[in-house]
Amino acid sequence: MQGNGTKIGFIVAFLAISVWYLWPTMANMLEQNYIEGLPEAERVEYKDENAQRLQNLRQNSLSLGLDLQGGMHVTMELGTAKLMSELAGQDADSTLNKVIDAAKEQSLQNDTDFIDEMVQIFEQRYPDGRLSRYYRSETENITRRSSNQEIASYLKKQRDSAVDRAMDIIRSRVDRYGVTEPAIFKQGNSRVVVELPGVANKERVRGLLKGTARLEFRLVGQPDQIQSTRESIVSYYNQQAQSDTTDTVQQSSGQNPLLEVLNPRGRNPYSIGYATARDTGRVNELLQDPKVQEFVPRNIELMWGATPFQTAENGQELYEIIAVRSEVEMTGDVISEASVNFRRETNQPRVSMNMNAEGARRWARITGANIGKPIAIVLDGYVYSYPNVETKISDGRSSISGLGSVTEAQDLVNILLSGALPAPLEIIEERTVGATLGQESIQAGFYSTLIGLVIVAMFMIAYYHSGGAIADLALLLNIIFILGILAAFKATLTLPGIAGIVLTIGMAVDANVLIFDRIREERRTGKTLNAAIDGGYSNAMSAIMDANITTFFVGIILYSFGVGPIKGFAVTLMAGIVASLFSAIVITRVVVDYLTREKSKDISFG
Amino acid sequence: MRWFETPDFNFIKAHKIGYVISGILLLAAIIGIFTKGLQYGIDFKGGKEFTLEFDEPIEVVELRSALTESLGSTPVVKRFGSPRDILIRTDDERDITTVQNAILGAVEQSFEGNQANVIKTDIVGARFAEDLKRGALNAIIFALIVIFIYIFIRFKNWTFSAGAVAALFHDVLIVVGVFTIFGEIAPFSMQIDQSIIAAFLTIVGYSLNDTVVVFDRIRENSLLYKTMDYDEMINKSLNDTLSRTVITSVTTLFVVTVLFIFGGEVLKGFSFALMLGVIIGTYSSLFVASAMVVELRRWRKEAS
Repeated sequence: MQGNGTKIGFIVAFLAISVWYLWPTMANMLEQNYIEGLPEAERVEYKDENAQRLQNLRQNSLSLGLDLQGGMHVTMELGTAKLMSELAGQDADSTLNKVIDAAKEQSLQNDTDFIDEMVQIFEQRYPDGRLSRYYRSETENITRRSSNQEIASYLKKQRDSAVDRAMDIIRSRVDRYGVTEPAIFKQGNSRVVVELPGVANKERVRGLLKGTARLEFRLVGQPDQIQSTRESIVSYYNQQAQSDTTDTVQQSSGQNPLLEVLNPRGRNPYSIGYATARDTGRVNELLQDPKVQEFVPRNIELMWGATPFQTAENGQELYEIIAVRSEVEMTGDVISEASVNFRRETNQPRVSMNMNAEGARRWARITGANIGKPIAIVLDGYVYSYPNVETKISDGRSSISGLGSVTEAQDLVNILLSGALPAPLEIIEERTVGATLGQESIQAGFYSTLIGLVIVAMFMIAYYHSGGAIADLALLLNIIFILGILAAFKATLTLPGIAGIVLTIGMAVDANVLIFDRIREERRTGKTLNAAIDGGYSNAMSAIMDANITTFFVGIILYSFGVGPIKGFAVTLMAGIVASLFSAIVITRVVVDYLTREKSKDISFG
Repeated sequence: MRWFETPDFNFIKAHKIGYVISGILLLAAIIGIFTKGLQYGIDFKGGKEFTLEFDEPIEVVELRSALTESLGSTPVVKRFGSPRDILIRTDDERDITTVQNAILGAVEQSFEGNQANVIKTDIVGARFAEDLKRGALNAIIFALIVIFIYIFIRFKNWTFSAGAVAALFHDVLIVVGVFTIFGEIAPFSMQIDQSIIAAFLTIVGYSLNDTVVVFDRIRENSLLYKTMDYDEMINKSLNDTLSRTVITSVTTLFVVTVLFIFGGEVLKGFSFALMLGVIIGTYSSLFVASAMVVELRRWRKEAS
């Protein structure tokens, strides 16, 4: 038959394309099996020899989601509010800061764009005001005369570039960390998603991603000022404790709650005390008390040391709180080089840094003016060290010591060299799956697919006889098509995605059920087999189309709403609909026609 | 094998029973939702969830008390499939690493020799959770609107759209009700999170699939049997498509049951929602969607 020739051509082509796209996946699986079978020594050698080819295979394979291969998924959000006030720089005043705070709240509540909210709130509060008071840029042609709308689009542009820069920086940090095939992409207008397959050391990655790498050099507070601050805070909590004894709900001991967690005698006059690692959270809480904040002079800030200065006898590590000056003398953007080396005496790792010419000049001035005094090296709000300045340093060299390990030192160099993030990134979602759990999920998915397939196939044969067998053939090809479509679109197979395939197996036979039931009906009206088959296929078509188009819509909606694995489910659902329509309508028709007309065999629909 | 060769059920008459059944189920669901509130999972509530795998089986109660001491608040502690796997949920706001270390520290202290491995962690910020919730709600509303419009365009009759959408509401509400009421006693997680929303939308898709096939036959029969009584014609259409409705439900139910049994712990809630959805969706296609069309048509006639 002429028509069937074209159809067969289509089927063969579709099948060939599917297999072609699936080929690397199959080859990759065979390779992996082969490699695992090799003895340890040969394994490395084989991998080295075939590195390029293996990588190609992996890249063209159907990729597995993190829920199947194990790894880490992190969503981070750019601190837009912080960026906005930083962009305003010295022009930022309390008026602007209040607007920014209000915009932060509003945009969260209404799920609207931060910058739009900000402009709107500003215009509401100050109908005559102009945002150009705060934002100017020569390169973008933003002047005092610019309208609020122009400012808004300028700010959006700045935010976009901040997110792009953040992505570049994260990419460079992740690359140096050495993860195979990380994925970094933007979500919405201020979010960045990072997917790291096979990552085991979560803490290290968190530090790497979150570190804004804001390096600051600050002076340390005056010892007498620090001492009086410490005393005021301690005596405040003493009073609290005493008044609490009358209040039975509170702690009954009547002890100073601060002294329970903080030892107020630092090892030197620059510290207000020290605590064990597990108590630092509680100490922060107590120090956050607004009353306590009043005791801290405006010109100093309390910061934790980055690393423990001592390990207590019971094995607890002790961290101190340093009082550093609020004013930043110099920031890390002057650093031109950084490298890891070791202190000769102790063999401790440290990071040595070189500054550019301007930085070196300023460093010389700062160190020259503060001989004999400590200068704190602060990174992301933690004090790494505060060495005493012995002489004026004029060659722009400085170093960070007090690092826990060589890896930590290397990560720090990596962060410093990748550059500082334009604004802090906050981790707002993090999911990790262990490799073994992923392996179990793959197995569970594989068995579910297999068992589902066998049950449905047997049922179809029992119910529709040879018609059912034809539908089963279509079903089998259908699964190859789905996988082919997924591979062709470079989709990622997730656990819900596998569930989608299993579900498709159940629903894919629907089109054939509709057709075969219709053929039975046509037969009951007394039509010949051939006429009934023609009638069955054509009459069932509108129901099949309507049913599948609506389900396809649902797939599209799921895809646009869902994140991560849910997207995978939506993709397989849609691929399943397309593939099953093709196989249920075209493939079965060709086989049915071949059997009934060309072979003139009788075919049964049960 | 042939089921329902030439069935002759009186669906129109049975609709009355359908109303009672649906009414009871819906009422129970609504009361359950109002009294207990939707049981949101971590995706929509935010928080920290750790799944631990122990070397030896472990008692949930003992672990809970050990953790309450070290975390300072009572976390949710549940089995995650096997007796060696445990899921811990806490809204402890401290740093992720700190919380994880506190948990592992408590385990080490209280269960000597029974080591725990963290095999899965999910940390969702409260604001992010809020965004996901909003997204999910929008998706469901959007899906219903799209379906309403598509059916209206294809069948050129708003009663069909209304009947289909009402049936979908019915299905989703009942499944949500089951999840709310039985969530606590179920041996697997029945909390409403992203994957459950995906299941709801799939139920919507599936139930619609069923409904549309029936509607399609109603449209066809209404042209073929112009003189037939409308109710009778709808009844005939339901009977004509009954065999297909049942067969497709059976095959789909087969596979989702397989998924429920063999798909692993992560997919338990998801596949359970689908199992319920297939059953209720099939029921609603037969007893709710077409009944709505009949009622709306009667109501419109009376009104004019």
